[in-house]
Amino acid sequence: MKTRKRIVAITLAASAGAAALAGGLFVYSGVYDVSATEQHTAFVYRLLDTSMRRSIELRTADVKVPPLDGAERISNGYRKFRSHCVQCHGAPGVAPQDFALGLMPAPAALVATARKRPAAEIYWVISNGIKMSGMPAWRYRLRDEEIWDVVAFMKTLPALSPAEYAALDERHAGPDKRHATAAQQAPAPAAASSRGHGEESGGDEELGDIAAGRKAMQQYLCATCHVIPGVVGAGEHVGPSLAGIADRRYIAGVLPNTPANMLRWLRHPTQVDPLSAMPDLGVTDQDARDIAAFLYTLGAR
Amino acid sequence: MLLAACGKEAEPLWLQGRADPLSQADAQRGRKVIERYGCVACHVIPGVRGPASSVGPPLAHMAARAYVGGVLPNTPDNLVRWLRDPPAADPRTAMPDMGLDAAEAKDVAAYLYTLD
Repeated sequence: MKTRKRIVAITLAASAGAAALAGGLFVYSGVYDVSATEQHTAFVYRLLDTSMRRSIELRTADVKVPPLDGAERISNGYRKFRSHCVQCHGAPGVAPQDFALGLMPAPAALVATARKRPAAEIYWVISNGIKMSGMPAWRYRLRDEEIWDVVAFMKTLPALSPAEYAALDERHAGPDKRHATAAQQAPAPAAASSRGHGEESGGDEELGDIAAGRKAMQQYLCATCHVIPGVVGAGEHVGPSLAGIADRRYIAGVLPNTPANMLRWLRHPTQVDPLSAMPDLGVTDQDARDIAAFLYTLGAR
Repeated sequence: MLLAACGKEAEPLWLQGRADPLSQADAQRGRKVIERYGCVACHVIPGVRGPASSVGPPLAHMAARAYVGGVLPNTPDNLVRWLRDPPAADPRTAMPDMGLDAAEAKDVAAYLYTLD
């Protein structure tokens, strides 16, 4: 009996030692790719995402939510949102800035956050930030009341159309900022020339590289708004699911689904449909061709 | 609309307990309306038998979707508005005005909101 216990103990200790050694070798060898262009494996993503969600839930059980429906609070929150949040997260019909498109983890589309997460959790995340992500702790920069103002504004996002958000910018922004949103909304004049853009390289319908396209879908934050089979973490229903897009008759409900139209839509969605909630993300000609090639692998079955 | 009046009195928001525009609506009646108007000729709709058409997007997860038709925030009022006359909401949409009346549109919306 005694020897059996000893054998068990030695075996356990040996396997623990071997596991630690293997782990150490794995880390030290540098084979793990930390680049922001390589997506997580589904397992690692699930692990990180669940850790984050559970951690936030545990820490917000006792947060007292003040009344959030005052017009002044929402208006104050909008101003803070415009100066501190929109750069990375974007807004209805507004793309994040270039540096934010390349962040990993990708900054969330906040309309989805506002629909799904309780106010207490949103407050906590703004206040405390999230480790190993680009999300800073704002509590050292904003007063508590100001953070609640931002939460109050965010909770209006699910009922705010792109046009209404643009009207807010129009009303509150200085002339320089106004230019940015005016460009987003600019309808007709560029539409005529948009055919020209599609011809920068290759023919009008020439598609690119499928694997590069899948990568690019992370790099333009497509994955924060659409369900995309094969792209890890792409699970939100802000826009329609892209599963089956290859067989869909129309793109975005407005354009017949041809490769040429797909390229046009990917590069300049607001020229195709000025009312669309999908912003222009500055997709280059080559990246659009790669993304289109990937999308056309997503059949209905 | 809601926030355009910044600083003035804002309308109460949908998420913060406005009177539910679908309080009289019935999801099962909505399913029948969907069958009657042949929505499945273009859309895959869970719970409604159809030819698996992919003219328009599948309507699974409609309750979770942030936007209707890619343009309107997905509130009950907006979904009803879209169903009654899509081209009025977005002149470029390929979805035609099917001529649903207000009660029918509300019932259909109620059914679509069961799809999460």
